[in-house]
Amino acid sequence: MRLQIDNARLLCPANGWDEAGSLLIEDGKIAEIGKVTGKADETIDADGLCLSPGLIDLRVKTGEPGAEQKETLATASRAAVAGGVTSMVVMPDTNPVIDDVALVQFIANRGKETSKTRIYAAGALTKGLKGEAMAEMGLMSDSGAVFFTNGDLPISDASVLRRTMAYAASCGALVSSRADDHALAKRGVMNSGALAARIGLSGLPREAEWIGLARDLLLAEATKCTLLVDQVSTARSIEMIKAARARGVKVWASVAAHHLFFNELDVGDYLTYCKVNPPFRSEEDRQALIDALAHGEIDAVVSAHDPQPPEEKRLPFAEASFGAAGLETVLSALLVLVQDERLSMLDALMPLTASPANIIGVPQGQLKEGAPADLILFDPEKPWFCEREHLRSRSLNSPFDGRRMVGRVMRTIIGGETVFERGT
Amino acid sequence: MSIPGYSYEFNHTHLLSIEDLSRLDIGHILDLAEEFAEATRRGERPEPHLKNNTVINLFFENSTRTMSSFEIAAKRLGADVITMPVAQSSVKKGETLIDTAMTLNAMAPDAIVIRHSASGGVKLLSRKVDCAVINAGDGTHQHPTQGLLDTLTIRRAKGRIEGLKVTICGDIIHSRVARSTTMALHMLGAEVTLCGPATLMPSGTDTWGAARALSDFDAAIEGADVVMMLRLQLERMNGAYLPSQREYFRSFGLTAERLKRAAPDATVMHPGPMNRGVEIESAIADGDRSVITEQVEMGVAVREAVLKLLSGRRT
Repeated sequence: MRLQIDNARLLCPANGWDEAGSLLIEDGKIAEIGKVTGKADETIDADGLCLSPGLIDLRVKTGEPGAEQKETLATASRAAVAGGVTSMVVMPDTNPVIDDVALVQFIANRGKETSKTRIYAAGALTKGLKGEAMAEMGLMSDSGAVFFTNGDLPISDASVLRRTMAYAASCGALVSSRADDHALAKRGVMNSGALAARIGLSGLPREAEWIGLARDLLLAEATKCTLLVDQVSTARSIEMIKAARARGVKVWASVAAHHLFFNELDVGDYLTYCKVNPPFRSEEDRQALIDALAHGEIDAVVSAHDPQPPEEKRLPFAEASFGAAGLETVLSALLVLVQDERLSMLDALMPLTASPANIIGVPQGQLKEGAPADLILFDPEKPWFCEREHLRSRSLNSPFDGRRMVGRVMRTIIGGETVFERGT
Repeated sequence: MSIPGYSYEFNHTHLLSIEDLSRLDIGHILDLAEEFAEATRRGERPEPHLKNNTVINLFFENSTRTMSSFEIAAKRLGADVITMPVAQSSVKKGETLIDTAMTLNAMAPDAIVIRHSASGGVKLLSRKVDCAVINAGDGTHQHPTQGLLDTLTIRRAKGRIEGLKVTICGDIIHSRVARSTTMALHMLGAEVTLCGPATLMPSGTDTWGAARALSDFDAAIEGADVVMMLRLQLERMNGAYLPSQREYFRSFGLTAERLKRAAPDATVMHPGPMNRGVEIESAIADGDRSVITEQVEMGVAVREAVLKLLSGRRT
């Protein structure tokens, strides 16, 4: 089967391409780029739409296994392909926790059987995410776990983290950690500040992120472990990461797409869809994250997809669960910044494609002959109105509900097969 | 209130926060409440404005004075009152707040008075019901009738609000009273100083309308026309926020000596219940400057006024 896409705007951040052209897919792989000479069985006229590598999302939570009422791999993948996400890494904080080989294989198998997207497992850093005994990172790596994390329960004991990082470094495993100081943050529900005080909510202080980050960076430096800082949310965190890089620490940083779009004021009148952790911070922090992205200091933009059903969100703010559905809005959140001329198109796509592919070591994420044909066709300026009822995730807890967005994925191709096509 | 060329209507469905009220609204509520208070002092019963109305008092948190104050206010106006402390409700069985709201709403009350431990909890419930909802305290967010009764008590003691220096001292960060009272007084033109130990002072109190936020009580009380002491939860004094009761009293207790720094005719207030000898010396609490019992009296009057204004709002 040979599929040809003509008349497209080819975008490949890895090569710095942004030019008109065609592309030929053969046997699920990219066969020719730019000018196509081979003969195709089927030809699509892209009519000037952008053609880029499919998005690679390094932070997705589903409810599988254990909380399938929230989301399964299948329902998450339905939302993912509509949002242009073709590969996703699922977090280990499930029930049971993904902390051994059988469970990593379970995720991989369920992904193959039920999901349209490529699914990769992140393994637990510690058994049961308890922050005590380290999990079998070497064996899980062999089974395909792409990195190791304690997810939303960052390790609070520095000695455990130090040993875990040292061990991970010795087996070449990547450690991801959300920077957090548990004692400072445990009661907080939104960013500390004037709004939290005014509406009577306890704060998640930025100091908690800084203290946790300082610790994580120092231990990564001491153990020579490669660290992926999960969901940076403040301006100072960027400075701390830059300083660590200057000292030679191997550190990647991710930011959640919703942190590029919202600030703490969006919590407004106790809007529980805006309850996420790390919380939406100040406008200065949001601007600093966008600047960091434009300067190439952020390596991955993640959806931080965390589906929560109504019974977890229709509660008083302090009692509601953290988490926002994000798979279908991650690209638009960045295309808004492109339209506002804060980012170039390639800078926006880099942390969604080539850069995360590099972090987890997968061949997709670029337009390259021989690479898997995971591709999206999107209209970068198509306006749309985000209504949660129309989202495809099983849980509809999107903070983007009611927002005007730009940019829509029109077709998603994985391994050469069209898995999603939007009616016009 | 009637001004030629202007018409005023109290057009609120609920009373959730002082922030929802205008200066005119507050003046109107206080005027009406004062009429009720004067009538009660004359030994008169008010018109039964709430006859055939059902008022539900739903208290998810323990309360003696606010709960009975609302109950008395509603009964004086002729309402049928059902008071539901949390222990008797199905909330203990895991029913969510919204389900509770929808269940009570189906019984078609005319007003629900709610106290809830979560900030924003009362507003959440108000969205699911067709009747008037009155916030009787939600978490550390708002307690609007307390803000109104404090304002009325001060207006009666001083004859005005505009230009008064009011100092509120204590556990500001956890106090819904501080938020509501500061906002109401600021809206009417008072200059509010908030004071408390740094561990109990939040940031951004300027957005509530506070002119100053200090941790030095002696400086905060200087020249004050009104000094309001807040209740300090005794469990906050076990070392987590404060070393001890006696150390708190040393720095933030209202003594006769300290009161000398305030204006000579300064009025002393406390929303109760008091910790005598912790926040305030007994002699001051019971002294002639104290209007603490009048606050309780005005509490009933303000609640009568609010219930009357919100009656007939069922949609």
